[in-house]
Parts: sequence; structure tokens; C-alpha cells
Amino acid sequence: MSNHIRHLNKCILRYPSYTLPRISVVLQTREYSRPTSFPDFFQNPIFRKEDQAKLIESSELSKIAALPVKPPAVYETSSVYHDPLVNKVINHVMEKGNKQLARNLVEKAFENIKRSQIERYHLATTPEAKAKIELDPKKILHKAIANSKPLLQLQPIKRGGITYQVPGPITEKRSLFLAIKWLLEATYEKERTVHFPKQFAWELLDAANNTGKVVKKKQDLHRQCEANRAYAHYRWQ
Amino acid sequence: MMYQNCMKMSSVIIKQFLPHTKSVCARLRSPVVCNVFNYSTKVTTTSNEDVLNNLTDWETLSKKKKISKAMKAYLERAQAHDEFMHKQQFEYNIGKRHLANMMGEDPETFTQKDVDRAIEYLFPSGIYDPAARPLMKPPEEVFPARKAAEFDEAGRPHHFLFYTGKPSYFKLMYDAAENIQQLYNFQDKVIRKKATPDPNGKLNLGATVWLTKDQLENVLVEAITDLEYDNFKLVMERLVSLPYAYRIKDFIDKYRKPLASQKFALEIPKPSYDAEGRAFITTYECLRKKARGDVTIRAPGTGKITINGKDLTYFDDIQSREQVMFPLIFTGMQDRVDVECNIEGGGPSGQSGAIRWGIAWSLRSFVDADMLERMQVAGLLTRDFRRRERKKPGQPGARKKPTWKRR
Amino acid sequence: MLSRSWRHLARRYSQATTFRTNENSPAQHSEKQEGLFYTMKPELCKQLFSHGGFPKSFMQQTKTFTETAVMVRQPALDLISCIKASDLNQPAIRYVLYGEKGSGKSLTLAHVLHYAHEDGYLIVHVPWVSEWLRRVPRHKEMSNSQTNEGFVDLPLDAAAWLIHFKSQNQTLLKSENLKVSKEYVWSKREKTEAGSPLHTLVEHGINRVKYACDVVDVLIDEIKMLSSSKQCKTFVAIDGFNSFFYPLTRLSTPTKKTVKPDEVTLTTSFLKLTHNDWTNGVIVVTADQLAVPDDHQESFLPRYLLYKKGFDHLDPFVPIEVGRYNEKEFQSCVGYYRDRLWLRGPPEVETELKFTSACNPYRFMEQCAPL
Repeated sequence: MSNHIRHLNKCILRYPSYTLPRISVVLQTREYSRPTSFPDFFQNPIFRKEDQAKLIESSELSKIAALPVKPPAVYETSSVYHDPLVNKVINHVMEKGNKQLARNLVEKAFENIKRSQIERYHLATTPEAKAKIELDPKKILHKAIANSKPLLQLQPIKRGGITYQVPGPITEKRSLFLAIKWLLEATYEKERTVHFPKQFAWELLDAANNTGKVVKKKQDLHRQCEANRAYAHYRWQ
Repeated sequence: MMYQNCMKMSSVIIKQFLPHTKSVCARLRSPVVCNVFNYSTKVTTTSNEDVLNNLTDWETLSKKKKISKAMKAYLERAQAHDEFMHKQQFEYNIGKRHLANMMGEDPETFTQKDVDRAIEYLFPSGIYDPAARPLMKPPEEVFPARKAAEFDEAGRPHHFLFYTGKPSYFKLMYDAAENIQQLYNFQDKVIRKKATPDPNGKLNLGATVWLTKDQLENVLVEAITDLEYDNFKLVMERLVSLPYAYRIKDFIDKYRKPLASQKFALEIPKPSYDAEGRAFITTYECLRKKARGDVTIRAPGTGKITINGKDLTYFDDIQSREQVMFPLIFTGMQDRVDVECNIEGGGPSGQSGAIRWGIAWSLRSFVDADMLERMQVAGLLTRDFRRRERKKPGQPGARKKPTWKRR
Repeated sequence: MLSRSWRHLARRYSQATTFRTNENSPAQHSEKQEGLFYTMKPELCKQLFSHGGFPKSFMQQTKTFTETAVMVRQPALDLISCIKASDLNQPAIRYVLYGEKGSGKSLTLAHVLHYAHEDGYLIVHVPWVSEWLRRVPRHKEMSNSQTNEGFVDLPLDAAAWLIHFKSQNQTLLKSENLKVSKEYVWSKREKTEAGSPLHTLVEHGINRVKYACDVVDVLIDEIKMLSSSKQCKTFVAIDGFNSFFYPLTRLSTPTKKTVKPDEVTLTTSFLKLTHNDWTNGVIVVTADQLAVPDDHQESFLPRYLLYKKGFDHLDPFVPIEVGRYNEKEFQSCVGYYRDRLWLRGPPEVETELKFTSACNPYRFMEQCAPL
């Protein structure tokens, strides 16, 4: 019976505007079932003003405008203060889908960073010292993450019964993920009385200055990789 | 008279389930002809039979011409199907004329679209599934397409790939691979002659996509698995990426489907004018997840936003407010228009997403073509049709599976 | 290049002048200074607001900006001109400040307080009523009142308030013009004679915490009498007045019974004070949504927040709405934040912030924070 239904549905010529996601076990194909993602021929949206300006220069705007485009996500805007890295950090902080709370915490952390930096700015006496202090919390976040990104990782490879830790390359994505994860782990090891935004602000400031737990962890990892250089050829055996 | 007409109509409309076996079926009046089926039905008799034919003893006389059982069955079924289809076509034509008469239109110029409209009018149905509603279509569309004779009377298959089970699919892959090889050879030749590829011949695949799995199945009249479809796409992508792919443009075009034309630029509504002379546009049916609403934009305005009677403070969180402001700030119309919206249902994300689309859709009338293109590239004009995926039985969630145990 | 730097300098100069004013005395503030920031001297702030008066977030901002700057806004100017024009021989007029959350009621009150202090008023200032009734740390020091049966005392809070009162009115109290009219006997050995200066009463309350609530009660009676007899003019400022009328508090007696605000002695004292049966004074009160729990925060209008009882008690009053920033105020606030390095970024950020914060002062400050 199900065979019949499936076949009949196939026979009736219809062009559904959206196809089903690939479900391996289909009891009954329903052409009207709700799609949960756009088909793969939809292009990603480009909504930042700078990216669009670049497209206009290379005159590819009209070509992309002729294709179907996915709508931008709920947290993406074309405003100047939208930053994909900040959004990624917010996602990692988020638990159980509570985006509002996560965003609040990260924003409070930025506020703390700003306040401490402004304090330092007012304490600094000479204009050169003042110019060195970075007042933008987003730039500090970028710097902190850049300082805590590892360049190699250790992969456990088993040879002759012994598992060696072999240093190997790391992808950009994984490196970014490890940096954010370490920063958050260091923040969770805080005292009970200290609030998350404050501790996070301290960690970020430390990492931006190349001090602190996270940078130490990264440097330890690099030292381990250097120590295990001898096993590097095991990756290709 | 009307009653008879109705009866005729209903007999045509009632879909009939035919017993269906894949391999031995007749395919008649198939719209898309694959040249795989044009192998001739040559009956090659064996030498034994030739010798025996010349003998005139009782055995040879009583020996009938050897037709395999499969072929016999196929012939019978083909005949039955032929008759059946003929009858269906006849009934369909008569039914169409009756329908035209009933609707008071000219039978000669009654197209399929008119038929559909008439059926919807005469047999209104509240059934959700379009496949279950009453329909009247030419029999070729309703009844499954079947393949022509795949083997001759002796049972020898025509197609050289018949024993793969999916001859047309594998022939297609074979053709694609051969084409790739040929293009490589051509490229080598060109390089040897130190020439350059023709710049005009670049393939433009921007406005088309590969056929979907269902469409490919329709074309090949065979069932295809997901893996096979993926392989097909891989091979075709490889083909298209070669520099001289324009030489086999026809082959590629057969398996590409043009995308639906962009609806955002068509039918931009003209703003109507209200009592004070301000231009305004209302977009109804702004949907996102479970939120439903409508958005009105009034043209010479000051940037006031009213949502359900309240200010932008209707949304407590910054994210929703940013989403509502997104199209206005993107087009720079934030202090030139007034926005008035009513929404209900859904949560903050859904409601703000619905309003965002509604504002962008209404702004089309107040914005020039250049900015319209930019909005389209930014994706502001795409209706977000995604809905929550249902939870499946046997799983904790929509995609989450219970813990995987190796044994 | 040179012209660009000139333009930049000119813009900085004009920016510097468009959001600040040098007029630091509220008595001189007029329509000309509307939307501009004026700074308060640190010693003055410490004297007036060391135990409250400014919202906590504002105190943090003062630390970050290294100065206390308040914007001169229309509601404050209205209030000051009303006070200047009012006839002090009539019974004290009551003003109610109301507005949405974060629209600047407490800061307006602080501005007017500064004016009153300059003008020589005797200041009776309750920084935040909910602090007494709703802020309950692990254990709140409460005791049953001795003088009034069935009433509850908050001795530590009353003592803290007396310290606040003392520091605000230092000069007036030191001048020793204000005398107690009656004799008050506190116990067998302690009593305050008639005719002794007011500050002895206050100090007695601070030293003997047990009698602090009664001292407050007595003090209020004395102040009313002194004002009516034209010895001094009084300025009463109460922030979060509507929490006196909310049916419940967060306090509970040792027998686990929740206390109603009417059963707290401090409530009765301040309700007596806000009654308009005395002259030569001004009463300014705010009705704030934050003073009541979240379920009862549907509207910010006084009719809703004050409940029937409060409305009847305060009726007739002059309502003053404190609204959001208008265009000019918003621009000057932006200039000030940029000057203090609180807001950095390209100019487009301002338009976006204007909409996402809906020009609400507090929200705007909040949203500039992470930028």
C-alpha cells in the first residue's frame, strides 16, 4: 500500500518549490511537509555594507540578485556593531538556547573591560601611554582570541601498542574553537562570589596582554608539540 | 444529461491503481524519449532453428516459434495497457468537452488550466494533501510511465547495460564519463596546437540548477537511490568544471532545470493614498514560524514605529528591535517613513522576523531599482518558510537519536 | 589637509560647547541650558548623596567618567520654576514625578534637591523607600515597636537615615537656629529637653539605635511645626513613594507573618509628613515601577502605581511626567558620551542606537556600554 502511494506521488508531475530534507527512512512521503532548511541552490546573504560595496565594484551584484538568496539569520543585522566573532562567542556562552542571557553576559563583560580600560586611560599621564591603551572591547576580544589560538595540536596515534601524542596541523575553525573554549573554561573556574562577566573581562584582558591562564595553556601545548617533534613522522607511516 | 456527464467525469477522475511490475511494462506516448529505447527488435534465430525449419517432420511442424514466457506476458500486458490508455484518452477528451459545456466555454479552446479551475470549482475539497484532492489530467500524467520492450522475443535485452537493473541511469553516467574523456582529449589537442579556449563559449549556469532526484527519476523512468543521485551530481559537476564544457552544452542542458524567476522585482504594488494624502502600502500575511501579521508603511514620515499600538518598546530585547530596524537602516529610510504593524502569535524572534520581512516587502514601492537589488542580495526579501521540524517516533527529538550502541 | 584638521578642530570645539554648560547652580538654570550637562562638585555630591540619592548605575558612571554630570531637562526646569513661583504661605504643594523605567526620575529629583540645598531649604530626603520595605538580606533587624502597639520597627534603617539627614543638613543644623519645642522622655535616664537644638535629637537617634524610629517620628513632627512657624523652609523628597502603598512587603516577623507597610512605623511617619497640613514647604515624590514587584508593573501612571489609598492620600497633587530624550537632548548626550570615551564608533551607530534604545536614557546608556 505504501508502495502505491509513493509511486503515485512520484507520477503526478508537480514541481514543489522546496524539497524534503534527506530522511533515510520514509514511511510516507508527504510533499507538503514543512521544510526546515533552504535547498542548497540558495545563496548565502551578503548584508554588510562593506561586502556589498565590494560586490558593486566587481559588478557581480546583479548576477547574485538573479538567484534565490537565503534570508539573514535572526541575530544578523547590517549595523556597524555587528561582529561575527562576537556572535560566535555569544553562542558558546549560551546554554539551553538562552541567547538573551548569553548576550547580556557578554555585553556586561565588554562593559567591565571598557570601564577598567577607561580607568587606566585616566591614570596614564603621557599621551603616548594614553594612545597605547585600547579602549574598544571588541578589539580586545579579537586580540585575546588571536593570542590564545594554538597553531598545532596533538593527535593520539597508536603505533605498536603505544599511543603517541603526535603534533600535527590544526584547521582555522578548530583553532578558533579551542581558543574560545579555553577562555570560557578559565572563566568557569572562578570564585563563587565573582560574577561571570567580571571574570570573563579579566580573562580577556589577560589574554590580550599575553598573560594569564589561557595563554599559558596555549604555550604549554606548543611546548609539548616541540617536545614531541620526533614523532611527527608517525602521521604518514 | 448532466447526471450522465457527472458519471463520466467521475469515472475519469477516479484514479485507478494498476498492478505494476517494473521490468515488463509498456510505455506509450512517453513525452521524454530516451534514445536508449530505440534499439531495434531484431529477432535473431539460431542456426539450430534454421536447420530445423527446413525439415518438415512432425516436430518442426508442431514446433511453435519460441517466444519466451516473459515476452508473451509482456505482449499481453502491453496490449491490455494500450487499450486501457486509449480508452482513458478517449474518456478524457469527452470529459473535457463535457466540462467545457458545463462551464459554458468553448470546447475547442479549453486548456488544461481551465480544466483544473473548473474541477476546483465543481468539486471543492478541504483536503490538505494536494495528491488526495479530485483532479482531471491527461492519462499520460496520471498513469505511470512504463518502459518499452527491453528485450526481444528470444529474451535478449536490447540495452547493453540491461543486467545492471538500471540501464538508463548507468548509460547516463557512462555518457558523462565518455564526454569527460573526450573533453580531456580535445584539451590535449588544443594545448598541443598552442591555442586558447573560445572565451565566448563559457557556459552560463547561473540561472539553472541540476534536476532534483524526483525529476531525474521521471526522466529516466527508474528509481534511483540517494547515493546514485549524489554520484550523478558529482560527475556532472566535474563535467561542467572542464574548460571545454560548452562543446557538450546540449547534453548538460538536458539535465538542468531553470530556476523560478525572481518574484521580488515583478508586480511591485503602487502605493495608495489615504485621507491626508500620504502614500501608504500594506503587506498582509507576514509570516515567520508561528507569527502572523501585517505591516503598513506610510511615506512622508518621521520614523515612528508602532507595533500593536505600542512603540518599539513592545520588544524588550535588543535583538528583536535590531531586526525590526534592519531593513530601515539598510535602505536609509529610517526617518522618512512611518511603520504601523499588527502581529500575533509566535515569540519575539518570529514576530520580529515577520515584521522585518513585511517592512522590506513594503519598502519595495518606495525604493529605486538599485537599492532593490541590494536588498535582494542581502536576503531581506526572501520569505522565511522554515517551520519547526516535528519530533519523530523512536527518537527524543527531531534529529537527536538515542545513544548509539555498537552492539 | 589643513582645512580638514580645522574642520575637525571646529567640530570638536563646537561639540565641546554643545553638551556642556558652565552654569553649575541650579537656581540659574533656565531654558537656555536645556539639554546640556552641568557638573556637580565632588564635595557637594558627597554631602548630599553619600547615602543614596543617585541610582547605583549612575554612581558607577560617576566613577568611570571621573565627574558627576547631570543633564538639565524640561521636567526639572518646570519643577524649579513652580517651586520658585509658589506661595509658601499656602499648605505644602505635592508634586509627583512619573515616567517609564529609566526615563530619569531619580536624577530629576537629585537636580531639584541640589537646587533646594542651594536655596537653603531643610532637606528631608528618602533615597529609596523599597530599600526599607523590600530589600531583605539574610536577616533584617526588626523589632516590635514599644511606643505603638502591633507596629514593627526598623532600627538600623532609621539610624542610617538619620545619619543621611544629618550630613545633608550639616550647615542648617550647626547654625543651631532650630529648637525642639517639647520635651521627650526616652527612658528613665534619657530625655531631650525642650529648646535644645535639633541636632541633639538627631544624634540621640544615631547613638541609641533602639529609639531611632521614635526619634524619626518626633523629628518629623518637629519639622512640621518649625516650618509652619516659619523657622525654616522644608523640602521633602521621597523616591519610590508608591511602595508604601503596595499591599505587601518582604519583611516578616519572627512568627513568619508578612508585614504590611501600614504596620511599619517609618511608613506612618512619612505619610504624616506628606500630608498637606503644614505650610512653608515643598513635597516632591516619585512613583516608580521598580518599587513594586514585576507582576504589578503594567503601567507607569500614578493612578495605577499609587493604588487608591495613595492616590487619595496625595490628592490633590501636581503630576509631572519625565519623558524620554528628545532630539536635542539625545544629541547632547551622544556628544557627552563620546567626550567621556563611553561611546566610540562611526556616526551611523547613533541612528541605530536612537531606535534600538527608543531614546530611553537608561537603555541608551546600557546599550552604549559594550560598544
